[in-house]
Amino acid sequence: MRFLVRRLLLAVPVILLVTIMVFSLLHLLPGDPATVILGQEATPEAIDAMREELGLNQPIVMQYLKWLGGVLQGDLGRSLVDHSPVSELIWQRLPATLELTIGTFVVALLIAIPAGILSATRPNSWIDYTSTFFALGGMSVPHFWLGMMFIVFFAVKLGWLPASGYVPFTENPLANITAMIMPVLATGLRESAILMRMLRSSLLEVMHADYIRTAYAKGHKESFVIFRHALKNALVPVVTTSGLIVAGLLGGLVITESIFSIPGFGKLIVESIYNRDFVTVQGAILVCALMVVMVNLLVDILYAVIDPRIKVGKEAEQ
Amino acid sequence: MSKKQGKVALSILLAGSLFAAVGCSSQSSGTDAGTGNNSAPKTGGTLSISLDADPPKLDPAFSTALVDRMVFQSIYDKLVDVNENGEVVPMLAEKWDVSPDQKSYTFTLREGVKFHDGTDFNAEAVKFSLERGMDKASNRKNELNDIEKITVADAKTIKIDLKQPFAPFLSILSDRAGMIVSPEAVKKYGDEFLNHPVGTGPFVYKERQKGSSITLEKNPNYWQKGLPYLDSVTYKIMNDANVALMNLKSGQVDITNKFPYKEIENVKNDPKISVVNEPGQGYQGIHLNTSKAPFDNKELRRAVDLMIDRDAIVKVVLSGAGSAAHSPFSKSQFAYGDSDKVEQPNVEKAKELLKKAGKENGFSFTLKLGTSPTNQQVGQMIQNMLKPAGITVNLEKVEFGTMLEQSKTGNFEAVSLGWSGRPDPDQNIYDFATKGGSNNYAQYYNPEVDRVLKEARQEGDQAKRKAGYDAAMKILNDETPYVYLYHDHNVFGVSKSVQGFTYYPDGLIRTASISKN
Repeated sequence: MRFLVRRLLLAVPVILLVTIMVFSLLHLLPGDPATVILGQEATPEAIDAMREELGLNQPIVMQYLKWLGGVLQGDLGRSLVDHSPVSELIWQRLPATLELTIGTFVVALLIAIPAGILSATRPNSWIDYTSTFFALGGMSVPHFWLGMMFIVFFAVKLGWLPASGYVPFTENPLANITAMIMPVLATGLRESAILMRMLRSSLLEVMHADYIRTAYAKGHKESFVIFRHALKNALVPVVTTSGLIVAGLLGGLVITESIFSIPGFGKLIVESIYNRDFVTVQGAILVCALMVVMVNLLVDILYAVIDPRIKVGKEAEQ
Repeated sequence: MSKKQGKVALSILLAGSLFAAVGCSSQSSGTDAGTGNNSAPKTGGTLSISLDADPPKLDPAFSTALVDRMVFQSIYDKLVDVNENGEVVPMLAEKWDVSPDQKSYTFTLREGVKFHDGTDFNAEAVKFSLERGMDKASNRKNELNDIEKITVADAKTIKIDLKQPFAPFLSILSDRAGMIVSPEAVKKYGDEFLNHPVGTGPFVYKERQKGSSITLEKNPNYWQKGLPYLDSVTYKIMNDANVALMNLKSGQVDITNKFPYKEIENVKNDPKISVVNEPGQGYQGIHLNTSKAPFDNKELRRAVDLMIDRDAIVKVVLSGAGSAAHSPFSKSQFAYGDSDKVEQPNVEKAKELLKKAGKENGFSFTLKLGTSPTNQQVGQMIQNMLKPAGITVNLEKVEFGTMLEQSKTGNFEAVSLGWSGRPDPDQNIYDFATKGGSNNYAQYYNPEVDRVLKEARQEGDQAKRKAGYDAAMKILNDETPYVYLYHDHNVFGVSKSVQGFTYYPDGLIRTASISKN
């Protein structure tokens, strides 16, 4: 518990620093938000009026503090483009991205764990070569290309799945799932390749350790040795990578979201940057930073569960 | 050895399975959609239109994006509309009179029209909408700047007095500035009106999922009897034209508002899709900053203009989805004519011009351009075309927002920035070529051009106006503050199950008369 509290407290300065960086970087961007929002035909008077309305004439520190004050009261502000509350925009976009992230990760694990174990326990066999082949392929093939190929094949030629679009799960679960199959596969295959290679190499290393030989010498079956002794130790680097992958996916699925027309979080951030919708970008990145901190915390807890030698909390402090 | 053989066998197997997959995917599908016969329009059904961007603001007074106007055609009606030939025709105004001095317009409004919220459309609503557009915060202020006074004579008559004669006025009312919004709804929703748009159009706003779709439903009380045919219209946001095409092919979208140029040729014989490829009202080109070197020199500007082979750009980059331009006027505008004729590239002449400017050994400049592949390709072609004359072009990619600001502040030598175009020629040239004009990024000034263009916007007679634009273009084509490259075409992919799709020169899809088999 103390560990958790300490970690959460540590996250506060991290997030604060992120907000300061995002805020100042956005304001360093060339391209005045008022000009971008009003477009090519805007008159100088209209731009001035807009700058005033957006509070852009105030000193940047004041603008930041004002925004931070709002955030502390749970108010992320209103979008500069369509005046809707930023929290509402984020809330609308988050489910699609969360679903995509979880789906991608599940696909990645479902492929990576069996393939990784098989190829590590039978190095240089045909299984190993095949999975290495696909892993290399998976890593080299850009997922937007794979996504397009999926659309061509499954949606246009076969007509099995919708080419793109998103239906919220609460509205129509079946349509939601059919719409998510291709995007989840396209990104999942790539991530599975990374995880599979990771698991293979760490498992191979562990399999050569003395205690594994001892376990075999005690007469245990191979499956018992692998699952009981080897896998747990081999999983530590995999969990680390998984944490990085999930954290990256949460804000970085913009290409998949674009190809499959999914109104996700990554697209929200990119669109808002193009529109110079600073308020929305700040809010979205804050939420993103929070999610990354949570994922990292989860990874730390998982370490302890998987490998009791890694201790967190009280014992670790001794 | 056997291990090696195994590997070979495996790779053959894998290669084989890959070929099998490719083989499957190249099989053409056998189903045939209904051919577009001109049978009686069917009622009912949902039409899906893909848009290349999410419309930011569904409020005509504050709209800044071209894509907003696509959705507006379904939600709002305008005082007047343009027809297929680009002529102004009645819409919410049944007829109008223009005073002999061209300064006062009296509109007679259609009766019995209701807004989607059930309130009455009348002269008060027109006054309200126009004044809303004239507010300083509105993006229509510039377009409605010349209105002096709006007087409601009775419920169906409204008189608009202008400060000075302004010929483009009617055509401006055929766009966002002339869209009539429900005053009650504006009062009710305030700032949030853009998320609850209410007009008199053929379709009623139902809901939107930001970044994904906008759904509209049939307006059962629409004033045009029998219209619309469709039960609902869904706009789906698909940023990538290729993705939109895939959706068109798989039947999830009926019309795409953009089409990947390279695919135009490939779908020519497609049984399910037709391509509409028509000139729009806009143009693309390069602003040359006349306020600083090198382009403060007219000869150097002319030399650049002379070396560009527009037809090659249209052919290579646009695959024919454009036409070479030398003026801001495209075929659908009355000012179009000889001024748009393109001179063939001429190295000798260009070198002579350079010599005259004292730059026998050539010169170099930086061309700022957008980040899209089309921009890049055009930039690279221009780079190569100018080389023979000894002109070196440095290309600099700039993100759109940044480019807009740099253009407005004059922080560039040459910047590639086009214009989406408007029905009246005045709106394609006045602010671009006159002193202090909001789009005169080149900071060009010629008192004669200012005078001629001002006269042309105040003249009521079309032939006289055309003569004015010809005179202005003669000077502009000689002084070249802006290098016209090409007129964009509007390219739509349309499923053959769609009937009644008509192309309008403003490139906007009118959904009221569309039906679906």
